[in-house]
Amino acid sequence: MEVGLLMLVGGVAAGLFGSLLGLGGGLLIVPLLSIGFGVPLREAVGVSLVCVIVTSSASAGVFLERRQARLRLGMILELFTATGAIAGGLLAFLLDERMLAGLFAAVLLYVAFTMVRRGTRAEESEPELSTGHGPLAGTRNVPLGLVGSVAAGIVSALLGVGGGIVKVPVMHLIMGVPLRVATATSNLMIGITASASAFVYVLRGGIDVAAVGPTAVGVFIGATIGSQYGGKVGQRLLRWLFVGVLLFTAFEMTRRALAL
Amino acid sequence: MTASQQPAPMQPTAAPPARTLEAVLARVLQAGTYLSMALIAIGTVLFLAAGGSPLDAGPSLDVGRIASDVLALRPAGFLWLGVLAVLATPMLRVLGALVGFARGGEWRMVGVAAAIVIVVAIGIAAGLLTG
Repeated sequence: MEVGLLMLVGGVAAGLFGSLLGLGGGLLIVPLLSIGFGVPLREAVGVSLVCVIVTSSASAGVFLERRQARLRLGMILELFTATGAIAGGLLAFLLDERMLAGLFAAVLLYVAFTMVRRGTRAEESEPELSTGHGPLAGTRNVPLGLVGSVAAGIVSALLGVGGGIVKVPVMHLIMGVPLRVATATSNLMIGITASASAFVYVLRGGIDVAAVGPTAVGVFIGATIGSQYGGKVGQRLLRWLFVGVLLFTAFEMTRRALAL
Repeated sequence: MTASQQPAPMQPTAAPPARTLEAVLARVLQAGTYLSMALIAIGTVLFLAAGGSPLDAGPSLDVGRIASDVLALRPAGFLWLGVLAVLATPMLRVLGALVGFARGGEWRMVGVAAAIVIVVAIGIAAGLLTG
């Protein structure tokens, strides 16, 4: 019972931050379960994928209503993320756990580095995104964005992270979508990205519903709270929270990969 | 004529269909989430009340038993039905968008939505074939 309550509380924290940062919470759920509770990494990834869909659905509804998420842009990109997710879902069962942990750490460090390096420049003067005609209005580097989306899907399925850690930088830094809109649109896309690979995990016996229960309920509560405040947290705070979470998780996953 | 005295719209109908579609899809996502969370919460309470630990290996998926498990108030039925509802919710959003785009004559977006459905179906087939 205590373990269940602890998982619930951990889920609340992961859901809250996931929703605020457009990460789907997976970045915190996987380390929470694998490092905090000793759940095998691949099993933690399976649980995380379910939680990540919950976070996405809960907050994407709010973001859609507020017109903060761009439905059409998100759907074009998620066609590519879902394709990557299925490839990643199949690949995940072929990889060693330590290699998964190492990949997790590498992706986190890369994204943290990118966000810090490009960070402060665009921050104060983000242009309002043109909502003009066409689903891709106001974006640039679309082909590269699509390739990045496939990569986001693979990363999502391998690491159970929803892929927001890749999608947000792809949309923001490569395609020129403002961070707040990129975060909201990523949140919307995470649902279908993660469910594409979650179906693979479920059908291959890779999802443990006993661990899903308390974690998912906690994540839902956290995400519900987070989505109410998502638009009110400043860009600067959002970005540095993002970087802080990335670095912490990278450190923990590196220790795991090196079996320290 | 009473018919001509029907209240006319105060403004021309300027609301784009896209706005309505997004509001509808938001409702789909919210309803799917609440339903799946209710099922998982019930399943979790039943599971923990029966002395189960989240760290034990949970019940495996048996689609044929879900209905009877739910009727018998067994945790496995609620947990699995909830998880499947979680996975189905984004798909419902895509299907809803497909219908909405078709109504609005946005055929390119209809193609995108249909392609997403096909990709996820391929994922399900891949899971079944390799599972």
